[in-house]
Amino acid sequence: MPDPKSKIEQLVSSLEELRLHLGRKDLLIGRDRINSQLYFCLANACLRSRAVLLYGGMGANKTSLINLLGASFLGLELDRMEDLMVTGHPEQTEEKIVGFLDPRQWTGQKEGPVQVLWTDWAGSRWKLINEINRFPSGKQNLFLEILQKRRISYAGQVCQPGETCYFATMNPEFSATYPLDQALLDRISACVPAYQPDFLAGLLLSEREREVRDLAGMLPRFTESEFSSLPQLVAGKPLSSQVELAVLCLIRDFTLCERAPSYDKTQLSGSKPSLGLCSGCHYHNNPEAICWQTDEELSDRVRQDLRIFCRAFAFLLDRQADLEILRAIAPYVIWHRINPMTSVLEKPPYFGVGKLAYVASLVNKSIDRTMNERREMNLIYSHAMDREISASQAIEELSSFDDPIARMDFIPHLESRQ
Amino acid sequence: MKLSSFISSAYPETSLSPRIKKGRKDMIFSLEDLADRIGSRPDRASVEELVEEEASQIELLLSCQPDKRCALIWGYVSSLAAERSPLPLRLPARDYAGLEMAGGCIILEKGGDHVGEKMRGGRIVIEGAAGDYLGQEMTGGGIVAAGCRDYAFRQMKGGWGVVKGDAGKFLGLGNTGGRIALQGSCRERAGWMMRSGRLYVRGDAGEYLGLLMSGGEILVRGEAGRRAGWRSKGGRIAASHFGPEAVDGVTELG
Repeated sequence: MPDPKSKIEQLVSSLEELRLHLGRKDLLIGRDRINSQLYFCLANACLRSRAVLLYGGMGANKTSLINLLGASFLGLELDRMEDLMVTGHPEQTEEKIVGFLDPRQWTGQKEGPVQVLWTDWAGSRWKLINEINRFPSGKQNLFLEILQKRRISYAGQVCQPGETCYFATMNPEFSATYPLDQALLDRISACVPAYQPDFLAGLLLSEREREVRDLAGMLPRFTESEFSSLPQLVAGKPLSSQVELAVLCLIRDFTLCERAPSYDKTQLSGSKPSLGLCSGCHYHNNPEAICWQTDEELSDRVRQDLRIFCRAFAFLLDRQADLEILRAIAPYVIWHRINPMTSVLEKPPYFGVGKLAYVASLVNKSIDRTMNERREMNLIYSHAMDREISASQAIEELSSFDDPIARMDFIPHLESRQ
Repeated sequence: MKLSSFISSAYPETSLSPRIKKGRKDMIFSLEDLADRIGSRPDRASVEELVEEEASQIELLLSCQPDKRCALIWGYVSSLAAERSPLPLRLPARDYAGLEMAGGCIILEKGGDHVGEKMRGGRIVIEGAAGDYLGQEMTGGGIVAAGCRDYAFRQMKGGWGVVKGDAGKFLGLGNTGGRIALQGSCRERAGWMMRSGRLYVRGDAGEYLGLLMSGGEILVRGEAGRRAGWRSKGGRIAASHFGPEAVDGVTELG
């Protein structure tokens, strides 16, 4: 009987003992303090068709960590994993990344469908896109189709590697990097900062005498069945109704806009909160309201990512998928997808660079509001939807709640039912 | 699954209060501390929100000596204190005492400026003379003062005021309601631009009584100065004697 959970625990302790990964434990979930870089990668290894981006300066162990984990989960050598990844640079082409037409077919006598020679990367179930922001903007579009898909197509042929784990790494803006497209960022499930080793980690790393390549061979290896069983084990973790509700409200908090068509921020074009759209709106400058604090909405992909990563972390930490997990992971799922108002972000304690901390504060505000102030209005709406009270009575009662969800979601919907 | 069952399961009975949680606020140590939290434009709602209902907190703030920036805030705190006090509240003579007061009673030994400004209810008794702008823009309640200086009951909309002694210039300027009784005399331009309400003066009134008035009633038991009712468009002015150049419509009491 495969027991991948205990093998993951072995893997975590081996990475530490062999001095292969010694990150700061920067993520607090309940009483568990863990390293976000490692655990988001582990969570992604337990899922399929999700993408995790590690973001940080050079030498922060981003690529090595993903390759080490890939070697362990796929049961391959580290060298083989390094051969599988693609690295961004302006001369990369679709042919080099995905596959190219087999030239031998033009000289042969046989007739038949076009033959494509797929690259190892295309056929792999562990896909690492290294230095993704070194791909020019036009070439980044290639990944729009590939990320989160099970199939890769080229010249009318389809490669089906099966359910795949996607990883990417990127540096901050340098002279040879390109900005990442917003649509591509939306396809990345979580973005995790990769920090440099701290003082103690640096000391411990200096004790490492053998090469990473040699030590990697000592990591536990997963069998094919163990690796394949992980998504099912994660899916077995139920989400609490509190998490489901908090996720729904969180998405709506970011998406609703009183001045947008159908109250939907995705419909904004040209005008947006940072360009003065919210001036005079009574939610503007209200620190409890989130709508005016970001230009972008959250897509339904965020809802799916929040739910599945909550389950994955619950599986990894052997606990319930509860609000504590949601509070901890949601900022990493959201922060790369939005641009907060610079007027707020540039003030202390964020000083223009604490975007993740700022998004974490927005997430906490939304969850706290949902679990406390929104209780009564949510109950009123649900009773009206179940026809336990009349729609007109519910509308009257909901009118006293100055909450974007009550005003722009609940009341218009009940009015349409009358 | 019904939606209400789903929502109810997300809010177990042990969950916190359904409405907005009003967590315990931080202690406010001085009027300057309160002013820093409120910002440059204090209003009654912000003061009320920040000041705890505990008597000790209000007492502490009332005992502070307000500088120019905190004068309005002290006024709001004095009103909150009076409204929450079961007994009449005796306060030191400071500007803006009873600002926007809605109930209760304040007793002052003597009045500063702007006492009872915008008050909506309750009583203010000033044992000595009040300063300028007594009861300005008041809409309800009542004020009793031994005397007052200029602009008393300016733009009054309701309520009443009694001045036992003399008043300064511009008494009841621009009033649209309310009643004023003055037992002494007042200086020039009482009832200027008055549109409604009532002004009674037992003593004498200065010149230009009821200048440009368009409504209301002014009664002077003593003598009105020159040009009473000058350019008035309505209302009624009556006095025992009028000085020179009084308009034709004024009534001389017998």
